[in-house]
Amino acid sequence: MAEPHDLAIVGGGPAGQAAALALAGLGLRIAVVDEQARPGGQILRQPPASFSVANWLPGSDHHWLKDQAARFTALTEVEWIGRHSVIEIARTGGSFALLAEGPDGIRPIAAHRVLIAGGCQDLAVPVPGWTLPGVYAAGGIQAFLKSQRFIPGDRIVLAGTHPLQLLIAAQIVAAGGSVAAVLFAQKRGAMIGAMIARPWIAARHVLTLRTAAAATLALKRAGVPVRFGARLEAIGGVDAVTGVRAGGPAIACDTVGLCYGFVPQSILPRMAGAAMRPAGHAGGWAAVHDAWMRASIPGLCVAGETTGVAGAPAAAAGGTIAGLGIARDLALLDPAEADRRAAPVRAHHARLLGFAALLEDLADPRGFLPTLGDDTIVCRCEDVNLGALVPEFGGSANGIKLATRCGMGPCQGRNCEPSLLRLMADAGRPGDPGFTQRFPARPVPLADLADPA
Amino acid sequence: MRILSDVVRGAAVTLRVDGAAVPAFEGETVATAMMAAGKGVFRRDGRGAPRGLYCNMGSCGECMVTVAGRRVRACLTEVAGGMEIATDG
Repeated sequence: MAEPHDLAIVGGGPAGQAAALALAGLGLRIAVVDEQARPGGQILRQPPASFSVANWLPGSDHHWLKDQAARFTALTEVEWIGRHSVIEIARTGGSFALLAEGPDGIRPIAAHRVLIAGGCQDLAVPVPGWTLPGVYAAGGIQAFLKSQRFIPGDRIVLAGTHPLQLLIAAQIVAAGGSVAAVLFAQKRGAMIGAMIARPWIAARHVLTLRTAAAATLALKRAGVPVRFGARLEAIGGVDAVTGVRAGGPAIACDTVGLCYGFVPQSILPRMAGAAMRPAGHAGGWAAVHDAWMRASIPGLCVAGETTGVAGAPAAAAGGTIAGLGIARDLALLDPAEADRRAAPVRAHHARLLGFAALLEDLADPRGFLPTLGDDTIVCRCEDVNLGALVPEFGGSANGIKLATRCGMGPCQGRNCEPSLLRLMADAGRPGDPGFTQRFPARPVPLADLADPA
Repeated sequence: MRILSDVVRGAAVTLRVDGAAVPAFEGETVATAMMAAGKGVFRRDGRGAPRGLYCNMGSCGECMVTVAGRRVRACLTEVAGGMEIATDG
């Protein structure tokens, strides 16, 4: 095996890049592993190098992300390991052994320290009909737009509770696509109420709110109905989506994006044994950390959405703090200098977390999730429906997994765990720690395991 | 549908999906090429019902296909000319 890296960063999004940039010029050998070919994370999901896109992501809120990616790409101490999924993290003899799976098989990566900045995923929301082809996590639709310049449908409905769906709908319309409706399950008054409850925070983040307002205006001009109090009931169709019901007459469409918020990608810190906490209203797990973003495992740091979903600017701030903390721990920066550099970033971070908390309140999916039938699938991978789960709710999530196969498929429970834990809590069993996380963290070809590179 | 107005894509290539020719462009993912060709069914579930891609970011595993004997996520796999793809759909 090659000489260990000083630091392996899992995730090349805003947090991972910011950490590497904070460590620039200090002489460390850094590996950055990401599932995408190019850095940027999901927020800046770049088109492939073989595409040329005119005026790509023109909004001013993307300028700093493009600038960050350019500065990160120029770092000479970083070995970029794109197109690789970290499938295992183990602590051995004071350092870490990672396995990364990519196009050519499995590659071991050894590192003295690890920063997990693995981002988040859309909260997967079971609803009758959601396993039909044409139903996507809303972020998946946005990823097609951003990086592939592809619109996955001719008539799209976005449904959920998160304001991001306004932006996605506006991006679809701007790209020439057709949006049949944007459906918010909550009432407009409740969203505005959450905002005016903390007006000083809203005022400070007027740019973000202006983006949402501009998207709303663009949708209005395009004649796209934006409805509030329209809770999704069912997605209809036999072999493909033909419409949705959300109170009132059915809405014809061939594509649905579900947008109820986001949960951290938590499998790697959990696999490493790091202490976790409930992540927020949408569910999921966030890694616990100290003021320098150190997790509960020696040598392991966490940043970005891994520590709770708060958006790209907060992720970058957390990544910078993590990088400075690592430099401080390695005595590459003296503590006073690390403190001095971190101070303005900490203040900025705290402000951003305040806004994230407001956004989380106004996007709160609890109380607005679709009602499930006994035959509604909760675990997509193993076809486990609500009716099969209900008799098992007296047991633990791990026990339910063994009894029903819920959470045993390729997604390792990433989709179904938040729903299962919510259903268990509703049935009088709150506080379950969720599934024990098992190797591999991502689906992996069996042949690669038999014949590691 | 592919957005045409603002993009110059990579070179045109042809894949075979379950034996059928599917046009694509370098840089596209297998998932994009399949869906653009109207082949949005990636597998059948235990009830025999069709399943499509869901998350498009490598997290869910719904879009797994077989390429050269390896099970891969179509949303993370870039196309290459002559690539042979087998679905469970």
